[in-house]
Amino acid sequence: MVTEVPETDEHIALCVQRGDAEAFGELIGRYQPKLFRYARKFLLDPDDAADIVQDIFIKSYQNIQSFDTTRRFSPWIYRIAHNEFVNALKKRASRHTIFTIDFDTLFPHLTAPDTSDSAALERDTQAMLDQYLDKVSPKYREPLVLYYLEGMDYKEIAEILQIPVSTVGVRLARGRTALTKIAGSLPRYE
Amino acid sequence: MNNDELEQHTPEKAHSSRLSVMDAIKKGTVTMRPRWHFILLSTLAAVGAFIVLLALVYIASLLVFFMHDSGAWFVPSFGGRGWFSFLRSIPWLLIFLIGIFALILEVLVRRYAFVYRKPLLLSAIGIVAFILLGGFLIAATPFHRQMKFYADHHQLPPPLSFIYGAPFRASPPPDVYHGVILAMTADGFIIVDQNGAGTTTVKVNDQTRLPEGVDFSVGTEVVVVGDRLGSSTVQAFGVREADE
Repeated sequence: MVTEVPETDEHIALCVQRGDAEAFGELIGRYQPKLFRYARKFLLDPDDAADIVQDIFIKSYQNIQSFDTTRRFSPWIYRIAHNEFVNALKKRASRHTIFTIDFDTLFPHLTAPDTSDSAALERDTQAMLDQYLDKVSPKYREPLVLYYLEGMDYKEIAEILQIPVSTVGVRLARGRTALTKIAGSLPRYE
Repeated sequence: MNNDELEQHTPEKAHSSRLSVMDAIKKGTVTMRPRWHFILLSTLAAVGAFIVLLALVYIASLLVFFMHDSGAWFVPSFGGRGWFSFLRSIPWLLIFLIGIFALILEVLVRRYAFVYRKPLLLSAIGIVAFILLGGFLIAATPFHRQMKFYADHHQLPPPLSFIYGAPFRASPPPDVYHGVILAMTADGFIIVDQNGAGTTTVKVNDQTRLPEGVDFSVGTEVVVVGDRLGSSTVQAFGVREADE
């Protein structure tokens, strides 16, 4: 019996670059649920999410020739998504606080290495994310979404947000602190 | 996905969204930008960053040269009074231009992974270090001195004549005199300024700060900080050699 090995995202992207437009449908199928979840959790507005995710795929197709197929496809499309989401937040700046000068990226930081949280900590954080994520500022909400909900590591998040890896650690720590403060009764940890 | 998400993003909706993107691609409403478009953009950005970097090094070298030329570069060694004169003669217009160009450079290179992976402060320190090193190297060559000479003799076309003109130059501090010793006197010496346009008699006394082990003689290039006694006489507070 021959087991069919699924094609990698990068190989499909290469096919699209070579003119196989149909192959792009496969990439949409793979990333649509992930990007929609990312959009909903980050933007907190389900009305916009579907349209923005559609725009992300249109931009991805338009710019796919800029994708380097020797690198991973996932950070590339998530970077496009990040830019679209930030633009969407800027458009509704009257309702949301948008970060401008980012002092987190200015100085070097010493942070704990990217290790898995303990099961209890993970459970507590997940519970807080479900309840209070919408109350955390976008600057800290985005790394929380990418780390806890999308399961990305520090390096991938750093590539998507184009910030130093140490800054990812700082933002995650501050995001968790913000969640804990909002949750109030739960114990604090950093 | 939880129930709430499923409610917002049913398989039908997802399918319809996917169809609409694929339909737009098939109809040609959405087209792929050609690879050369991205190569051109990257090349333009890289060339732009390189030109801005060269401009920064050039402006930094001009700053060092003008500070040397006015003598202000050497006066901090005279202590508090020297530092005060130094700060007063800094060409702030050049500092402002360096700041603007450095910001443009940071924006242009921020897209590269080797830059954004590092904290902003480190990349800024790297850029400043490179600019200063390049600036000092160019300032050590006779290039700027020759250009200034041509500018002073109205032999430079614009915009070079403007760049080497008064607005960008370090204004010489009123109590700093930079020149070459023309003759020794009983209580000091006479210097001729850098352009050979005028002479100043420098009086030295017991209070004057002089470097140890240095014998000033005719032909030595010196920097003097002091108080003017007459139209062309100065009581020296400190004297030092102008190092090349």
